[in-house]
Amino acid sequence: MKTIKVLPLALLGTVVGIVISVILIFTRTLPVQASAEANDIDNLYIFFLGFSGIIFGIVVLFLLVAVYRFRARPNDEREGDNVHGITWLEVVWTVIPFVIVVLCAIGGLIVLRSGDVEAQARTKGQQIHVLGYQFGWKYAYLNQGIDLKDQQTLVLPVNEPVIFELESNDVIHSFWVPAWRMQMNATPGQVNEISTTPTKIGSFEIVCAYLCGVGHTNMNSALPGSIIPKVQVVSKSDFDAWIEQQKAEAAKAAESSSAETTTGSAG
Amino acid sequence: MTAVLKPTLARCLWVAPAFAALAILITVAARSIFGMTPVLQESTLLTVAYIAGGIGFIVGIGGFDYWFTWMRGGELDPNDHSQHGAHSWGDYFKFNTDHKVIGIQYIVFTFIMFLVGGMFAEVFRSELATPGQQVLTDQQYSGLISQHGVIMIFVFMVPVFAGIGNYVIPLMIGAADMAFPRLNAVSFWLLPVAAFTLLSSFMFGSFDGGWTGYPTLSEQSGYGMTLYQLGVQLAGASSIATAVNFLVTIIAMRAPGMTLFRMPLLVWANLATSALVVAATPFIAGAQFMAMFDREMGTHFFTIAGGGDTLVYQHIFWFYSHPAVYIMILPGFGIISEVIATHARKPVFGYRAVAFSSAGIAILGFAVWAHHMFASGMEPWLRVPIMLSTLLIAIPTGIKIFSWLGTMWGGVLRMTTANLFAIGFIFTFVIGGLSGVMLAVVPFDVSITNSYFIVAHFHYVLFGGSIMTIYAGFYHWFPKVTGRMYNEVVGRWHFWITFVAMNITFFPMHYQGLVGMPRRVADYAPEFAWSNMVISLAAFVLGASTLIFVYNMIHSARHGKKAGANPWGGLTLEWLLSSPPPIFNFPATPRVIGGPYRYGEEGAKHAIVPEVEPATVETTV
Repeated sequence: MKTIKVLPLALLGTVVGIVISVILIFTRTLPVQASAEANDIDNLYIFFLGFSGIIFGIVVLFLLVAVYRFRARPNDEREGDNVHGITWLEVVWTVIPFVIVVLCAIGGLIVLRSGDVEAQARTKGQQIHVLGYQFGWKYAYLNQGIDLKDQQTLVLPVNEPVIFELESNDVIHSFWVPAWRMQMNATPGQVNEISTTPTKIGSFEIVCAYLCGVGHTNMNSALPGSIIPKVQVVSKSDFDAWIEQQKAEAAKAAESSSAETTTGSAG
Repeated sequence: MTAVLKPTLARCLWVAPAFAALAILITVAARSIFGMTPVLQESTLLTVAYIAGGIGFIVGIGGFDYWFTWMRGGELDPNDHSQHGAHSWGDYFKFNTDHKVIGIQYIVFTFIMFLVGGMFAEVFRSELATPGQQVLTDQQYSGLISQHGVIMIFVFMVPVFAGIGNYVIPLMIGAADMAFPRLNAVSFWLLPVAAFTLLSSFMFGSFDGGWTGYPTLSEQSGYGMTLYQLGVQLAGASSIATAVNFLVTIIAMRAPGMTLFRMPLLVWANLATSALVVAATPFIAGAQFMAMFDREMGTHFFTIAGGGDTLVYQHIFWFYSHPAVYIMILPGFGIISEVIATHARKPVFGYRAVAFSSAGIAILGFAVWAHHMFASGMEPWLRVPIMLSTLLIAIPTGIKIFSWLGTMWGGVLRMTTANLFAIGFIFTFVIGGLSGVMLAVVPFDVSITNSYFIVAHFHYVLFGGSIMTIYAGFYHWFPKVTGRMYNEVVGRWHFWITFVAMNITFFPMHYQGLVGMPRRVADYAPEFAWSNMVISLAAFVLGASTLIFVYNMIHSARHGKKAGANPWGGLTLEWLLSSPPPIFNFPATPRVIGGPYRYGEEGAKHAIVPEVEPATVETTV
């Protein structure tokens, strides 16, 4: 019986793994990248798929070869080799995963750090207060002093930083915009901050990712007939025009309400 | 008539309601004396009734009879073994102190709970099969997914390993029984109480906040939420008591010659797991007590209006519930080491590394809890250390996977169903492990957390991991427990259908999550329609495959071929006994003379069981 060389098999496993990785990477169906962070995070994911495919390929190839090569024949009473371990090999397969997780950690830290640096640089962006409630979102533009109505569409300018201050007045919700690769809980009793920079014009889904009660399923703009509006990212000029319109509407509303109060007190 | 006075289930039928009624009476009396209105506060009365009824059940089944007899100065015979060992079918429905009986009670009961939890999954998968909501309301849907999680975790996966350990560990270390047999029985009988408490929550507006039961949603839920909190405490108490028992048994009751490094790896795994349970489980019990007090007693641990903090609950909850993942997989790792070594006829490759990696996982397991909370709004500095510790856990886990491959390499693999499940486990667990490494990395996690990617990941770890190992263990020790062989052909069908259906069920969920499907939703965007249909169909096949297993077990236990003492040629101590083993295990204390995996060594032995004349052994029943 021929002995099987381990090293060529490991190389073959690597090749199989690379093929698996490539297939996974090309069949990935990630949502559109619509924020400054999205590309980094997707690259991280492609890196993960790369090494995962290779590890998976090696393990499965060895598994299959072992099953094929070392399976017992009918009425096979042989015993296996009396080998209790090979120290250098055990060291190797401790060190290799260690190197891989160190690489993961480095990749993760780089992306995390660049995200944090960008987040810190975003002191001058749009400040948006997001109030999660059962079952919807209510936005306020802190820079412009505009309060939107319940379930009114969030409109943001493209390529301008935006800082979200998330709060909830009932239960935990989670503000998830998959196209921005961004998610943060809105937790009652505290303000959670997260920021991003939208880089694509268009409308994107807003999904409540944390179970928040009977309306949780419908707190997802991707559902047909959902009352949750998608987030609209528009050009700077469109945004300014929209802000002016909101201000005008707010002024009109204030006027009519004060008029009501006046008539009310006059009556 | 005497049946209702002797310690039996029949006695439970009146003692438990009597305790509950008494508790209600005392509460009503106290409430009216102190002028609390309304006197008949429904939730308070239900809570005291459940607590007292649960204690009453343990009293009824006979959990405290021995101690009560001692208390009232009654006569006790130290050699009274009347409650030890099963002499007939009925003994499995009684309070029994034999670890083998308790092991079977655990395994059968938890497996029934597995079927119940699986049924819930089938019901909500039928809702998810097509877009729109046809079968369930939002509330029913949330109730079912929450129950599915809680039943699977607290009354199936954690205790089933306690059951397998109960049966096998004392045999493996050459002990006559567990260290505290009565405590062992009480631990088991707490489980039906826990399961009843959890399942009966459907009657009172089931808890619907997910298996995690986060406040403040838990404050809004119906009375079922309190029953969830109570049920988790009961299951936790059972689990802690069993772990203490395992620790003492493994540390103090090993046969002469069985040094730590001659222990089979399942014993190592159980030692590490029990240490984890003892240290971690009090945290979830504590969190549930606080949340229950908030609901039922007006305290403010987590209520915002009273100055509480919901994030604290998440920290305490995950400080248990992440180690719980290892509680649900470490014993499985132990099983795989036993199964692969025995069926590959080869020593475990790198025994010491495998043993110490269990300990390493148990210790590191305490430093990773907050990776469940990267998007929770916790302190930002905590992200990096938790990410690093989580990544590090991949190393001891990797060592185990490679060691199993090394064990198979150069062996003579007997492709029994037990071994098939062990090999299939490596395949699926690697996938779950790799997605775990991805999720450890903060920016990636934050981009898809709470999505179906997470659902895919933990089902690969818990189904592709734990449940595959449980099946491997069931098949491996089935001949030992029943004395008969299972049907290999049916077993093979079970493996292949389960394995294929499992992968078709859970693999597409990765993609759903990446594209943006959140978890715990009863409806989804139209783009997920076909993938959900595929998943649901595969889930139905997966559920049906369980029935093949049930058929094989029941049919083979009665009509299977006689197994003999050692059908697999195992070297560990349990295989030196007859199948099923005698009621008092070993005729005389065995002596351990070598390592547990000396396969391929001519005439090698792990242990010797001296033959002693039965007359000289105390086996008076």
